[in-house]
Amino acid sequence: MVRSFEKKMSHVTELYKMVSNFHVPGSGDTDSGVPEFGFSPEVVLYPESVEEISRVLGFASQKGIRVFPFAGGTKLFLGNPVCSVGAALSLKRLGRVLFHEPSDMVSTVECGMEVREFQKAVGRENQLFPVDPPGLNSGATVGGLVSTNLCGPMSTRYGTCRELILGIRAVRADGEIINLGGKVVKNVAGYDIPKLMAGSLGTLCVLVEATFRLYPRQPSSRTLVLGFDNHVSCSQAARAIFAADVVPTCFEILDERLSSEFSAAPGAKRSVLLKFDSFEEAVIEQIKQVREITSGKSASFVEMGDEDSRKLWDSAREFPFLSGASFSSKLTLPVTASIEILSDIESNPALSGVTVRCLSRPARGVALVSVSGEGEEAVIAARFLENLADSLGGRIMFSGVRRELRERVKAWGDFGDALFLMKNIKRRFDPGNILPGEKIFDAD
Amino acid sequence: MDSQAVKRTGRWKSRITSELVGILGAGAVISAEDELIAYESDGLTGYRVKPLFVVLPSTAEEVSQVVKICNREKIPFVPRGAGTGLSGGALPNREGIVISLSRMNRILDVDIPNRVVVVEPGVVNISVTDAVSAEGFYYAPDPSSQIVCTIGGNVAENSGGVHCLKYGVTTNHVLGVEMVLPDGAVVTLGGPAPESLGYDLLSLVVGSEGLLGIVTKVFLRIIKKPQMVKTLFASFERIEDAGASVSAIISSGVIPAGMEIMDNLSINAVETTVGAGYPRDAGAILLVELDGPEAEVKTQVPAVSEILRENGAIEIKLAADESERQLFWKGRKSAFAAMGKISPGYYVQDGVIPRSTLAKVLGEIGELGRRYGLRVANVFHAGDGNLHPLVLYDPEVEGESEKAEELSGEILRVCVDVGGSITGEHGVGFDKKRFLPLMFNEQEIDTMNLVRCAFDEEGLCNPGKVFPTPRTCVEPGMKKQGPETTPAKEMGELF
Repeated sequence: MVRSFEKKMSHVTELYKMVSNFHVPGSGDTDSGVPEFGFSPEVVLYPESVEEISRVLGFASQKGIRVFPFAGGTKLFLGNPVCSVGAALSLKRLGRVLFHEPSDMVSTVECGMEVREFQKAVGRENQLFPVDPPGLNSGATVGGLVSTNLCGPMSTRYGTCRELILGIRAVRADGEIINLGGKVVKNVAGYDIPKLMAGSLGTLCVLVEATFRLYPRQPSSRTLVLGFDNHVSCSQAARAIFAADVVPTCFEILDERLSSEFSAAPGAKRSVLLKFDSFEEAVIEQIKQVREITSGKSASFVEMGDEDSRKLWDSAREFPFLSGASFSSKLTLPVTASIEILSDIESNPALSGVTVRCLSRPARGVALVSVSGEGEEAVIAARFLENLADSLGGRIMFSGVRRELRERVKAWGDFGDALFLMKNIKRRFDPGNILPGEKIFDAD
Repeated sequence: MDSQAVKRTGRWKSRITSELVGILGAGAVISAEDELIAYESDGLTGYRVKPLFVVLPSTAEEVSQVVKICNREKIPFVPRGAGTGLSGGALPNREGIVISLSRMNRILDVDIPNRVVVVEPGVVNISVTDAVSAEGFYYAPDPSSQIVCTIGGNVAENSGGVHCLKYGVTTNHVLGVEMVLPDGAVVTLGGPAPESLGYDLLSLVVGSEGLLGIVTKVFLRIIKKPQMVKTLFASFERIEDAGASVSAIISSGVIPAGMEIMDNLSINAVETTVGAGYPRDAGAILLVELDGPEAEVKTQVPAVSEILRENGAIEIKLAADESERQLFWKGRKSAFAAMGKISPGYYVQDGVIPRSTLAKVLGEIGELGRRYGLRVANVFHAGDGNLHPLVLYDPEVEGESEKAEELSGEILRVCVDVGGSITGEHGVGFDKKRFLPLMFNEQEIDTMNLVRCAFDEEGLCNPGKVFPTPRTCVEPGMKKQGPETTPAKEMGELF
């Protein structure tokens, strides 16, 4: 046992030689770039090229050393906890825009680049990388964005990065460097493996570069907040907006608590947030339409100023990860269920012992729910949400689960029929489970 | 795939026929030589193979039972929709079964509030829009063959169309599928919810060209008809100016629903056949369709017109009404068929290029045409760089069809050389599998094979397509691992 451990340690030591920089936790030197992993890697590696990553993974797969890829480290709480890892592999030294052809509206970026920096880079050509994940202003990287497939309010119009990713450069668990997909917006040559990578939490390959479709920036933007004094009128208004001839960039429904906490519509039972981006005339016309179709339904109708608007969307984007909750959850539902879920949650006695906050993103069929509460009551709330998602024909994911609840609140709800195929994919891509498969798959 | 393992005797065939008839009924099993002819090829008629049987199941359960027999007997099977594909994706195997989904053609559910329509795979594309049109909705992907092609085929090929620039291709409109896996198991991936969690298996299935299983039910996203649609027609002296207009329009912040370019040869072919009113002397025409909220479209029309003028448009017309709009589109939609009127044979390609390389690539295609002594007409989805060069030839002239095929291959090389793709919407299929290595090396193609093996370890589902050389799942395509690769104990328990 001891010899085996020593042997593995010597193998990990070999990894040092394969990269430009490394950090040994506990060795006395400090590295502010190392996040709180929740596990103890023997080394943190900082490769500066895809070839270095290839060498690391090739060696690691031969020696059975487990590798944990990360970049900004802002979403490590997603997925199940990770077991033992030999090396944490940082992509932070790979942070350049490699290609941007403005007339093609396509750009290739290294995965260690922060999303915000990437947006600034393409913004210089008046173009938009239209993804606004939580952590956008606090270090979220392109690699993390693809790995988690997290998104924000703008997904109403532009979808998640799954809809935007065109190609990838990645390193397989056995060290092979692969380029899949392409740099054109339409391409059906081979399986769409770039989309498979989106949301795979780094369990299949180490993503090094990604190529995205971009959009033009719109010249004008305005934000509306509608306050409601009951759920029924809010629901009616939300359905009417959804059915109207308007194309909002962002469209969210907040429960009573969030309406106040976000300073959206304090005192309102519900609020609807809308953002329109287009030519000025078109924005004004769409706001007019919303006013007409919600007339008599909403208690308040406010067009926000720029500063208030920015704060509001920052709050909506960061929810639920900054709420200090016992856990957060994302429910993926049919559209109408995502509108009605606020009342399903509000009226249910199973949630009476906890504090619940809920934001719905109807066009995406998504509800984000955070729960603050202790012990058994938090577990009951988790079970309730799991059953609710199931009964509404949806799925659920838990995140940021407090340590004491983790045994009873797992990260993933039921994957249904997909589970064994997902396991097959993982087994084919990474037969030695070198990359952290336990982020998604429970031991069974 | 040839059946090496099992000798297919007359008695064997008779036994399998009885078994299939027992499951499907006599009217749903075709084995007579003359009746099999109709299934020898898909829309790419240059390749023809007669299968052992064609079966026409009516339910997912029947598909499953047939597939289980195929597994037991190691019979390759090929799913087939309407057979309109242009890459040989539904080409049968000599020793195989074609599973036609044409009888599974029911619309199962129309859910307007959730914007979902659930259909069987044999439903014709246009029928989905027909089913929801009265409610003010439509199904966006609109391949040229939409009045005959089926949703199952669209899912297999990840079909596009002229309006996918703004709204995306099939993969952006499929929320879920029920499918029969290659071992006969019936599974559901996704469903009526717009988003999913975990690995995105659905995006693997859409565009998998029938290699991962047989889709038996599809959850489709429908979208609201735009409040306003306006179509602009512009003619140019030079095709390069039409191409420059396309980039300039998108750079200005406008994403049209569709932008289509036709060159002079295509214009004249169309005018000869359908008389769409295109100017015969124009170097190229460009159609720009703008849709969305009325206020937005009204702002975009003058802005786009100005861009067209700045880029050298000779004539700019805004369709005055729906009938003129339909006339503008009639020419474009008739373009492929029109080629049949000016040439006894033509070979259609499906390359994709970055928009910025349009002028360069069109120049190179022209040069290739001159070098091969063949005419090449260009019709393309300009907004997304999806070219459909039509290589015209006379099959009666000895060696000309081979020359046309070779020239088509050269065009694909040009597309890949500028950073594009060998196929934008027709699929790799049988026809273009030899070109896949232009885009991907062995390790990359092996990686695709990892996906196939995760679904189809036996390799019975539509074999001989997409992959340039046969690949098994015995070698997983990964580097050989050393003796110390045993995963950590707790990791080994994961599976």
